[in-house]
Amino acid sequence: MVPAPDRFAPGPLAAVFRRILQGLLTAWAAVSLTFLALRLAGGDPIANLLAQGLASPTQASNLRRALGLDQPIWTQYLHYLGGLVRGDLGVSLYTSRDVSTVIGERIPPTAALASAGLIVALLIGLILGVTAAWSSRRPIGIVAGLLSSLALTLPVAVTGVLSILGLSLAFRAIPGADFLANLQSLVLPAFVLGFASSGGIARLVQTGLTESLNKPYILAAKARGLPVGARLLWHALRPALPPVISLTALEASFLFSGTVVTETVFSRPGLGRLLVTSILRGDFPVAQGIVVMAALVYTGGHILADLLALAIDPRLRRLI
Amino acid sequence: MKRGWVTVLPGLWIGLVVLVSLAAPVLVHVSPLQPVADPLSPPSVSAPLGTDSLGRDLWARLLYGGRVSLGVSFLAVSLTILLGGAAGMVAAMAGGWPDRVILWLANSALAIPGLLLAMLLVAAVGPGVPAVVMAVGLGGAPGFARLARSVFLQVKQDGYIAAAAALGADLAWISARHVLPNARPKLVSLTATHYAWALMGTVTLTFLGLGGDPAIPEWGAMLNAGRADLIGAPWAALWPALAISLTVLSVHAIADRVGR
Repeated sequence: MVPAPDRFAPGPLAAVFRRILQGLLTAWAAVSLTFLALRLAGGDPIANLLAQGLASPTQASNLRRALGLDQPIWTQYLHYLGGLVRGDLGVSLYTSRDVSTVIGERIPPTAALASAGLIVALLIGLILGVTAAWSSRRPIGIVAGLLSSLALTLPVAVTGVLSILGLSLAFRAIPGADFLANLQSLVLPAFVLGFASSGGIARLVQTGLTESLNKPYILAAKARGLPVGARLLWHALRPALPPVISLTALEASFLFSGTVVTETVFSRPGLGRLLVTSILRGDFPVAQGIVVMAALVYTGGHILADLLALAIDPRLRRLI
Repeated sequence: MKRGWVTVLPGLWIGLVVLVSLAAPVLVHVSPLQPVADPLSPPSVSAPLGTDSLGRDLWARLLYGGRVSLGVSFLAVSLTILLGGAAGMVAAMAGGWPDRVILWLANSALAIPGLLLAMLLVAAVGPGVPAVVMAVGLGGAPGFARLARSVFLQVKQDGYIAAAAALGADLAWISARHVLPNARPKLVSLTATHYAWALMGTVTLTFLGLGGDPAIPEWGAMLNAGRADLIGAPWAALWPALAISLTVLSVHAIADRVGR
């Protein structure tokens, strides 16, 4: 049956608008969940300070009043939401500085690590995926498949520590620890982080490529005498890319949780380290601010992924 | 069906790890908490895997650590399955607004990356082993609920469910006697995958130092402690790294196998 040409299909703008609205709703829910989880399960954060002997009872009650903790939870919640809209995330319990300033200072090193990691993830993912699909019966293809399984399953903590160990053993003979220190500052962390995210990309490339390699147009290209490289990269890989592009947008926002571990392994300063230390110190406004920010970035990444998919494949517009 | 070493080895390894962890008091005669030799001694006859930076026997710590790591992740995954499974069951069987509410809650929780959600829960309760169990268990529940819901929905489509309903069976009876048994094969595979994630989450949180007292032998905490002396005494980090990798890989391999 030929679809009626005048059938109503929402325009691209309507789809984009609806998707953004959905994203905002999810972001609000995630923010509320973060707030409620910390307040309802966590009880009184100031009690921690009292227990550690970091504040006298008078100081504690003053602090409670200053932070608005003496008010009912719904007032605090509305207050927090109102502050969030204005970019105000409260103040740190330990340094009394603005949480948004504290977080802002730590964004550059984490953003550098995450973007380097993303580039590595794409490179490794494409190489492993193409190799696994193209030489699926040969040892090299099997090794590529195994590597992507390892990337998917091994915790970043393990791959990180093992990579430092491997590298230090390999370069033990070479004098000049500077070289090693340089490698450890960005290249190695980016590799460890990127490797962890490359597994999903590799799997997606592999399945997409395997599917399109069996299509008649590949046989036709072969019959026309096109070289292997052109067949593989131009004819077969292209139709496999749209899902990879959306996954990459998701991975980009997901990389943040990978940076938490990577920063610990390589003792790099950044948002991830800040989150761990603020949890250990009971500095809940900072921890809350980082998680809220990550949830917002993550939701944004989801929206971006869906919009990219929409841009690539117009058929999806009806589904949203 | 191919039944090569790929199938047998993971099962053997898991069996070995569980057995050795359970039998730790019989297999080692030194305390995992007290120093037995010089700090960072290399592997020797008295300390087969060497000692850590405080001179504690790594073989003892690895075995007792297995109890903690495997036990914590087992408790956590049980929490995930009970909570996520129940939510998924209610959503799938009741449909309507309970389904929409549960799905919306799960999706909102999934808008926070898994590790951060777990860290948030640790922050709420305060670092320690109970916090890790709760964080990993609750953190896995939204994802499990969504997957379990789709498994239950699939089973619900089958003809015998309609037949049971036509015979007058109520929703609770159908859920317990018809849907649950028939969903079991898929649920087992899901559980195995989630166990691997729980173990990964557990060692990640303890690696980050959120497991409380660092004296408690635990694989993730041991890995983190071994990091300081990586060049001079690689064994302190190598053993926990190997134990974690092999166990996580084996559980994934088994989950893959069961899922097929």
